[in-house]
Amino acid sequence: MAHAVVADIDPIQGRTALIEGEPSFHDITEVVSAPVEWKPPLGWYIFLGASMALTSLLGVSIGWLFWEGTGIWGNNIPIAWAWPIVNFVFWVGIGHAGTLISAVLFLFRQKWRTSINRAAEAMTLFAVACALIFPGIHIGRPWLPYWMMPIPNQMGMWPQFRSPLMWDVFAVSIYGTVSLVFWYVGLIPDLATMRDRSTTKIRRLAYGFFALGWRGSFRQWLHYEKAYLMLAGLATPLVLSVHSVVSFDFAVSQLPGWHTTIFPPYFVAGAIFSGLAMVITLMVICRKVFKMEHIINLLHFDRMAKLILLTGTLVGFAYSMEFFIAWYGGNTYELFAFTNRAGGPFAWAYWTMIFCNVVTPQIFWWKKARTHMGILFVASIFINIGMWFERFVIVVTSLHADFLPSSWDYYRPTFWDFATFAGSFGLFFTLFTLFVRFLPMVAMAEVKSVLPQAHVHNRPE
Amino acid sequence: MEHHVTLDSQQITLPTSGLWPKLPAVGGVIGVVGLGLAFLLQGEDPQRLAFSYLTGFMFWVTIALGGLFFVILHYLARSGWSVVVRRLAEKVAATLPLFAILFLPIPLLFMHDLFHWSDAAAVAHDPLLQHKAPYLNIAFFNLRAVIYFAVWIGLMIYFNRASQKQDASADFGITARLNKRSAPCMILFGLTLNFAAVDWMMTLDPHWFSTIFGVYTFAGCVIAIFATLILMSLRLQRRGVLEGVVTGEHYHDMGKMLFGFVVFWAYIGFSQFMLIWYANIPEETIWFDHRWHNGWQPVSILLAVGHFAIPFFWLISQPAKRSRFAMTAGALWLLFMHYVDIYWLVMPTPVPSGDHHAMVAQAFQPAATDIACWLGIGGLFVAYLGHLLGQGSLVPKADPRLAESLTFESV
Amino acid sequence: MLAEFPDPETLMHACAKVRDAGFTCWDAHTPFPVHGLDKAMGLKRSMVSAFVLILGLSGAAAGMLLQYWTSALAYPIVISGKPFFSWPAFVPIMFECGVLGGAIGAVLGMLLLGGLPRHHHALFNSEAFSRVSDDAFFISIEAQDPKYDAETTHAFLDGIGAQAIEKVMED
Repeated sequence: MAHAVVADIDPIQGRTALIEGEPSFHDITEVVSAPVEWKPPLGWYIFLGASMALTSLLGVSIGWLFWEGTGIWGNNIPIAWAWPIVNFVFWVGIGHAGTLISAVLFLFRQKWRTSINRAAEAMTLFAVACALIFPGIHIGRPWLPYWMMPIPNQMGMWPQFRSPLMWDVFAVSIYGTVSLVFWYVGLIPDLATMRDRSTTKIRRLAYGFFALGWRGSFRQWLHYEKAYLMLAGLATPLVLSVHSVVSFDFAVSQLPGWHTTIFPPYFVAGAIFSGLAMVITLMVICRKVFKMEHIINLLHFDRMAKLILLTGTLVGFAYSMEFFIAWYGGNTYELFAFTNRAGGPFAWAYWTMIFCNVVTPQIFWWKKARTHMGILFVASIFINIGMWFERFVIVVTSLHADFLPSSWDYYRPTFWDFATFAGSFGLFFTLFTLFVRFLPMVAMAEVKSVLPQAHVHNRPE
Repeated sequence: MEHHVTLDSQQITLPTSGLWPKLPAVGGVIGVVGLGLAFLLQGEDPQRLAFSYLTGFMFWVTIALGGLFFVILHYLARSGWSVVVRRLAEKVAATLPLFAILFLPIPLLFMHDLFHWSDAAAVAHDPLLQHKAPYLNIAFFNLRAVIYFAVWIGLMIYFNRASQKQDASADFGITARLNKRSAPCMILFGLTLNFAAVDWMMTLDPHWFSTIFGVYTFAGCVIAIFATLILMSLRLQRRGVLEGVVTGEHYHDMGKMLFGFVVFWAYIGFSQFMLIWYANIPEETIWFDHRWHNGWQPVSILLAVGHFAIPFFWLISQPAKRSRFAMTAGALWLLFMHYVDIYWLVMPTPVPSGDHHAMVAQAFQPAATDIACWLGIGGLFVAYLGHLLGQGSLVPKADPRLAESLTFESV
Repeated sequence: MLAEFPDPETLMHACAKVRDAGFTCWDAHTPFPVHGLDKAMGLKRSMVSAFVLILGLSGAAAGMLLQYWTSALAYPIVISGKPFFSWPAFVPIMFECGVLGGAIGAVLGMLLLGGLPRHHHALFNSEAFSRVSDDAFFISIEAQDPKYDAETTHAFLDGIGAQAIEKVMED
């Protein structure tokens, strides 16, 4: 097969094919539309079934929680935050890669993003949906979350806006909304494609409704592109702010191990790190199942792995800086919090985190590893585990032994902690499985625009 | 795409008329006079001179460090558009050896005036300083400074030599090699910059600490270098140099980077402030307290408004980034704000005062030595930079991505 | 009148000629945004950014006002010894509301300026036009254009490289 298609021939790396195999515009439409139009393979049904089974475990866990109360979890003083908050931060973090890939890389003119941005954005939405469950159920009084909304109520009370938890409510829900809008705007031209290709009336109406009457008019494209650029420009600081706000939940406190000024950028780097790992995990599978190896090719994995290496290094830097300042600051409690992390009862969690987040990504210094599906897959799983443990370390080890030694305690999760967390994966995979079946998982219009034949070289005046 | 580009030598060498060729002489005179004046003006207050000197030094060295960052980032990102201004950044970074010399007065003359922790008597009464002594001692401080400058100058020589070699040999392999090596170089740069910021500015108040301090300084460096690059290329174009090489597209992109890092600076600065304000732990809050009293309140407000709000709205529109006037004004203003930022970081430091040598933060009282040191160090920097600019081409004329950069269109 | 062109380059050159011929009620239709076509069509910069700026600033102001009013006026309560109007604590939500406003502005701007959503358009009556979202490039010139004339416009489009030309009627 000829690997000879380029957007721009780079003089250093030679011919770097964003999309391999010289496809025509129509070929792209065909390949991308295929999973949406074919009868899905048996494997798809099996995977969906398994995911839905896990989702029902989430339903059962939440039902039992509402019936019985938060006592079914391992949360107890002093570790009152425990798994629900760990899971919340974990999922919000995963939800950062989508916006990074669609917005930040868009602003930096990284054309390779076009092959993966759609799926990454969808992943963002589903991860944010999973994340939102946890603060919702964590309060243990599911009939009261409306207290967090700034709406006039019978008590004449208003939300307490000095609380970082309120910032979270706004940041995460606005992030979810803006990501949805960004994703939907990106989908409009492709929905029009699906509409124009549809063979049944129902499909035509459904896709046509959401395509808003798009007809590829360049006067529309002009505003569309500007709006997309603006959304990217807004989503970029938004994505930074969201995980910064999540980090504020911890950092505005006075708790040793939580209160440190590097938290905002460090959380953002960690979020992108984990999100990219999840994108790799999903894309390794999807490209194989849906035969898109030429669209989502080694070049994309190479670049993503480099970004993982970059963000992993930043995370490693933040770990060391925290340790250095914990010593340098000379605060006994702070220093204890950190020695206790590395040498205390939760040292196993700390060193799991270090191994997964700092050691694992080092393999991506080698190009072989960056382009080997097996290594990528395994490393990305390790990083996902490591990033979950990072939040576990921050939440649990800081709480389990703070200022008052008489209330120190060890934390043990219960069956229902595991069940709820596993169930959230079920929800995530269910949504993603449905997405790849019903919507084009690659941004067709954008991929077409980076094909070499899309460029006009001799422009009229 | 066409790889071989020929540029007129007139387009890419320093103009022979106007102020440019006279920079070494003019800058040198200003530098010597400035530093001389600073020593004459110190009068009764040698301590003030030390702080003035450190402020001036930090302002100019952060520009040079920004230049080094720009060069490494250029290779790390395999960037195309920035080729046309990379040589200017290389020249700015090439002034680092000068700063290694200009650093010398700090350990030799000003150590005890600046750094309270270097005073053995103070350490003897302060358990916190005793705890920090393994890090905060004069020998290790000096050793670290040697390491920082060795790393920076080493990196600078490594990148600049290769880049200049390519001018002659047109060897594309050089770019490929630098692309590869830039990642570990960036790690070295990041670590040294972070600890240099800690050593030279954060330890002025040895009780205070903030994990984000290095990142904050880094944001300032990047703003400074983009403002400097914009000004340099705009001024050179006044003389017809770089005309048709650096275009509106490049200004647009540099403007975007400048805008982006203004926002990044605000983000880091606000995060640091808000977290400390909110937790309100005395050992941390005191640092902001010093910057809110004794005349510092207007400076703090000026910093928030002038370093963020004004440039944010000034640079936000697309036409502004392509307008020569708007970019000149914006870049000059941001360099001024960068000075205010450094001043605000360095000056309100507690120093022993009164009969009992109690530690009292310095009030906001601009002194003649501030300006003299700024001019003196700046004059020498400009003189050396002018000398370096006169050597060879101002554009990496055989860079494989030069053609891409010349035809670049910013969207 | 709808004319199909084989590739982006022919389309762009054709667009420049349509522009120079002085047509006003016309449009180009492409499966993806062709870079540089705005100049060839003589289009002005999109004003979506004005929507974003205005709504973004309004959103930020609204966010801050909401917090000021609820925390300092309507329901003042001392929390951790902080002032009723503790602005640093209100910045995150102000920022988020500003972004939300900006995002709404971007989408509204795109929809209003681009004339979307739209239930139906005469062009959808064309069989060939269904490929506009796949791989076909078109120029459409509307009959209400003052310069429009069925025969000369047909000849004109033919002369600037159209592959196929058809007349599309309203229902």
